[in-house]
Amino acid sequence: MAGLKTIIVLSFILAIGFLLVILSSALFKNYLTLLVVATYVIAPVPNWLCGKAQSQDDFMDSGSSSIVELGRFMTGFLVVMGIALPVVLAHCDQITIPAMAMSIVGGLLIYGTIISFTMFFREQEEF
Amino acid sequence: MIGNGDDMEGNRLFKFPKPQWLNSANTRNAGVYLSGALFSIALFVMIDATVYSNGRLNGSDLHLNFVDWIPSIFSFLGMLVINSIDKTRLSGDTFAYSGDGVAWKAKVVLFMGFAAMAGGLAGGVTVMVLKYVTEGATGMSLWFGVANLLANALVMLSCVVLWVSQNMEDDYTYNLAL
Repeated sequence: MAGLKTIIVLSFILAIGFLLVILSSALFKNYLTLLVVATYVIAPVPNWLCGKAQSQDDFMDSGSSSIVELGRFMTGFLVVMGIALPVVLAHCDQITIPAMAMSIVGGLLIYGTIISFTMFFREQEEF
Repeated sequence: MIGNGDDMEGNRLFKFPKPQWLNSANTRNAGVYLSGALFSIALFVMIDATVYSNGRLNGSDLHLNFVDWIPSIFSFLGMLVINSIDKTRLSGDTFAYSGDGVAWKAKVVLFMGFAAMAGGLAGGVTVMVLKYVTEGATGMSLWFGVANLLANALVMLSCVVLWVSQNMEDDYTYNLAL
């Protein structure tokens, strides 16, 4: 039952995140902030793909581990990009400062949900 | 050979022992993530300067063009070269399979990578001084030049962090393998 509660809480947080990002774009009639959602949605993809690429190789192969590290590098890149993109847009007067703050908070909530969901399911698979 | 790490602790040069967390897997992963984050900051500092200088907020006559990106491109190529090299090839004499001067070739390619990266940093300083400081740029116009230098320094820092975490990983797998 604890798992059910976690799912409910996570879905609420995800909904709040999407609400913030959509408000940040719709309130100011400027839909550039939706790029943050795209960034955070594709942020876990390199890690996932590279993890799949590693599992097909041998365990002690050193080449597979660098593929995993490439995935981690790209994930770190994309996560910071999700914060840096609204900041650059606001600095260059493409979006307003409140829209920047709302999209950053909303994006972090969305990404936090994705990450906690992945960790939750990984824990389930181990048992 | 399990006590390999302990032998290295005994032969340590410094008074203080190597902290235990330096060899953990989590530190390596955090280092790689941090490296990606630093690279992202570097890229977006450059993008911010470019977009701002070509947008309507820019009051000065100075604009970024392709010339300002050349040092960053060199830094990025250097980082790519440095981190593409298999680090175990550098100590070629300890491995039987790496004959025919593989270690020498690796060192030459590595030198070219470091040269590209240092050239990128020097180019960043050059562009900042020649294009902005000598023109008497102030405020946001000066930021265009400082952003160039900052982006190249951040790419270098990102490369250093990635290199250090990869070397940490080598120690870790070595201890695991023996």
